[in-house]
Parts: sequence; C-alpha cells; structure tokens
Amino acid sequence: MDPSQQIEAASKFLLQAPPGEINDVLNDVRNIVSDDESLQAGLLPALREYNLAQFTTADVPGHNHQSIISEAARISKPSTEGEETEESDRFWDPRSRTSFRFDHLSLETSEPEPVEPDEESEPFRAALESASLTYLAAHYHDGVTSVFPASGSTSRYYVQIVANKYNPSNYWSGRWRSEYTVDLEERTLKGRILVNVHYYEQGNVQLSTTHSIDLPLPPTITPSSAAASASKVLALVEAEEGKYQTSLNETYTEMSEKTFKGLRRALPMTRSKLDWDKVLGYKLGAELSSNRGMFGSS
Amino acid sequence: MGDLVDSMLDLMRRLPPMRVEENVASLAAMCPDYAEDLLGTVDQPLKVLTDRATGREYLACDYNRDGESYRSPWSNEYDPPFEDGTVPTAKLRKLEITANEAFDMYREMYYEGGVSSVFLWDLDDGGFAGVVLLKKVMNASSPTEPSGSWDSIHVFEVSERGRQAHYKLTSTIMLQMTNRAVTGRDAKEKEGDDATRAGEVALSGSMTRQEEKDYPVPEQMAHVANTGRMVEEMEIKMRNTLQEVYFGKTRDVVFDLRSVDDLEKARRQRELQKELVGFIKR
Repeated sequence: MDPSQQIEAASKFLLQAPPGEINDVLNDVRNIVSDDESLQAGLLPALREYNLAQFTTADVPGHNHQSIISEAARISKPSTEGEETEESDRFWDPRSRTSFRFDHLSLETSEPEPVEPDEESEPFRAALESASLTYLAAHYHDGVTSVFPASGSTSRYYVQIVANKYNPSNYWSGRWRSEYTVDLEERTLKGRILVNVHYYEQGNVQLSTTHSIDLPLPPTITPSSAAASASKVLALVEAEEGKYQTSLNETYTEMSEKTFKGLRRALPMTRSKLDWDKVLGYKLGAELSSNRGMFGSS
Repeated sequence: MGDLVDSMLDLMRRLPPMRVEENVASLAAMCPDYAEDLLGTVDQPLKVLTDRATGREYLACDYNRDGESYRSPWSNEYDPPFEDGTVPTAKLRKLEITANEAFDMYREMYYEGGVSSVFLWDLDDGGFAGVVLLKKVMNASSPTEPSGSWDSIHVFEVSERGRQAHYKLTSTIMLQMTNRAVTGRDAKEKEGDDATRAGEVALSGSMTRQEEKDYPVPEQMAHVANTGRMVEEMEIKMRNTLQEVYFGKTRDVVFDLRSVDDLEKARRQRELQKELVGFIKR
C-alpha cells in the first residue's frame, strides 16, 4: 500500500469511531501507520468530517456554554476551488454571536470574533433557540443545542441537539444526535435522529439507529408570532422524539422476543439440557451398525 | 512488534461489528506481514459452504482452511480440491466424525435450523485441539421484517492426564439483529397524522469468554460428551449475558441520554416534596 492508500484506509477507520473514542482510534491508527508526519496532515480531512457529522461540542471562547460544530455552524464555506483552508475551520455560535477557530485534533477553540447576525432571520432564530434550551433541560441529562439560520435564507433554520455519555471505566459510551430543519416557506419540519451506543466489556456490542421524520407545519406556526410559534415547533419535536423513544422500546421487545429467541432457544423443547451420554450412545450405536466400513479407511 | 497487533486488536474492539470483514481486509492490506496473525485472532462471521460429495452444508473459517481451500467435516475433502491439505490422523478423524454427529443433534435441539461443523487437529505436545462452529441466519422476507444472525465459535484445547483430561475453552458469539420500520402516508389511518417516518435499528456485536475444566475420560469418545457439556454450559451462560447487554445495557444508555419524562417537572416535584416535608416537620 502506498502512503496515500494508507491515509485513505486510516481515514475510514476514524470515521467509524464510536462515541467518545476518536482518540483511542487515532492512537491505534498512529501505531499501525508509523509515518506520523504524513499522517498528521493526511488525517485532518477525516477528523473534520467526523467532528462536523458527529455534532462535536466546543467551548465558546469567553462564554460559559458549549455550541455544536456542524456544517450549519461553519462561518466560511470552502473556497470556490473546493479546497479546505485554515479559514474553513471557523465556526460560530449564534447564541453568543461569536465566531471562533476550531482545532479538529485538540477540539480547542481560539481567536473569538463578534458576529452580527442577519437582522431579518434573527428574531425567529432566537425564539427557536430559547425554546430549544427549555426543551433540552426537560429531556436531556447532558445535552447541547444550537440553532442556526440557513445561509442565504431568511425562513429556514436548523435546530441541532447532541447528548453524549462516556463511561470508559465501565466500558460504554453513547451519543444521541437530532437535527430538525424548520422551513417556514415550504411549511415543513424535517428531522433525523441518530443514536449510537458502544458497550465493550469483554466484547464489542453496538447499537446504531437512524430515524427520519417529515411532517407539515401546522398553520398556527407563523414568522410573525415568533415566540409562540417556536414553542409549537419544539412541542412537535418533543412529541416526535417521545414517540420515537417509545417505539424504540417496542423494537427492543420485538427483537428480544422474536429475533433473539428465533436464532437460538434458551433450552431445547424438552426444557432440559442434552443428555450427552445418551446422544453419544445413540449416535455410536447407529454408526457402528451402519458405517462400520468407514473407519480406518483414510 | 506485539504493539502493532495489540493496536489492531484494540481497533477491532472499537469499530462497528457489522463491518468487521471489510475492516480486517483493510488492516491486512495495510500490514501484509501481520495478515496471518490478524486472520487467526479476529473472529469473523462464518461462511456457509456446500460439501460437493454429500451435498450437506458446512461452515468455513480459519480453522478448516488450508491455502485457499476449506475442508468439509462430512466428506473430509477440501474444496477447491487440495491434494496435500492437512487432515486429522485416522484416530482423531474418528472422533471428529462422532463430534460432528453429536453437535449436529445439539444444533437441532437449540437452533432448530442453521448449520454446525466440528474440526479437530493434533497438537505437537501429544494433545489435540478443536473448534465447534454453529451458525443460524434469519433472513427478512420483506424489507420491514426483522433479520438476524448468530455465529458461535468454540475453540478448545485438550491435554490428557491419565484417565483425566484438562479442557481449555475459548468461546466467541457474534450476534447481529436488524429491524426496519416505515410509517408514512400509506399508513396514515393508523398514525392519524400526515407525517412520514422511517428508521432502522441495528444491534450487532461479539463477545468472548474463556473457561477451563477437568473431566474424566474413561474412553476416547468421552471427549465428545465432555466438550459437549462445556460448550452447552458456555452457550447458556453467554446467551444470558448477550440478552442482558443487547437488550438491557444498550437500552439503558439510550434512556440515560434522553429522558421520556420531563426532567424539569420531576425536579420541581422533588423540591415541592422537600418543602412539604420541611413544613410538616415544623
């Protein structure tokens, strides 16, 4: 394998890292591809892709809260040639109206700068943010939420939520991500929920779920009544996520009752373990009478 | 360079079990010098092959592979044919035939379907070793039907001490289950709204356990009953653990991330209760 193929293979590993284990995967990859210098630069695109896709959280410089790193949080898009530059790693937190540089390896933020939000979309965005923060406190133990305006639109917003729990001493970790696109012009609420759990005590067990939602916005949601409408949007989110969690419970029951039992029984139909001496005696008897000639012929 | 293999194994312990084959192939290509080590250590889903001589299905893994060929436990033949392929000694082959028959019965009792295979080989120190393989697949008859697969790999080493034998068993079970669901405009009446929802839930993984035991061996065939009891005990234990981890632990983590009940309401209620208790005490 040439170095570029090695980087490509290593990048694929990074993108599969379970919640909270990106550094463990990175250390393994570093040991396997011992060319640290080419690796450092070569893996940056994969780390960036991972952080954006996984809704990695960042400490907003000068503030006491965290914000989500995602495609929607990017302040400057890749340059026209599609080249990623240092500049493309600036993100913003609309809540504090701050932009900052984000280091994809250390996950540290720096170089804060004030950002003036779009006047037209800001009131509804701020209302969605405040409703999201209330919702987050009601249903997430350790969550972070950010609400971004869609660039180039004054009627489309992204509500993003991420919750992580890492417990390496008990060999488990989990991540819940949800994202909703509120489109006041198209009058739709589109969302997706992604849950990943890793349990790795004497094994490697993973739960991976995807769920998508697409529903029309009720007519009572209007741009003019920002606060009331934002609460209604989050009430829809709350209902959908609650329904989803209940359905997940049902799926667990179905998998346990149907698939798991169908694959292997807890005990044979006889409700007792095998009598191995009998199995053997029966088999041996049958073999001796019918297959006598088979033995010793090899 | 033990470090390198350790890193590879650590990586395999973290990456999604559903993609184990792809990832092992990729690691083997990255470090060809360690490909054999890796293939010998990382368990992968068993392949189902058909014995050309008997038409019976058997399981293929690293333990019955020689070169590019796999040996069938039923005919003792390699496929593709391989003249110099390793086969057990006549004495061990006799035991292997009996073990295959016995575990085939075990498979029918517990799996009610699927495929089993047992392979034995001689060890340099005079003892022998073997592997018991079991696999069952549940295919979805439609895209929204649940599907799943179970692969058991039980590797054991036997050292005889007079009329006693010491057994060392290493068992790995790979279990994978998928559920897909779509509710949408077609199922409107049921949901009572015009939302579309689609999703997939996948639980997958592997678990490994070890155990050592001594059993009496009054005659050669007793090895089959002894390993049989050990594998049966182990599978019962591991099935319970799998049930706990798959349906208990992973679910608990999800409900630890998000609460169905309103946490704020619960908090307020607790405070109110505290106040009330304080009020009554006064």
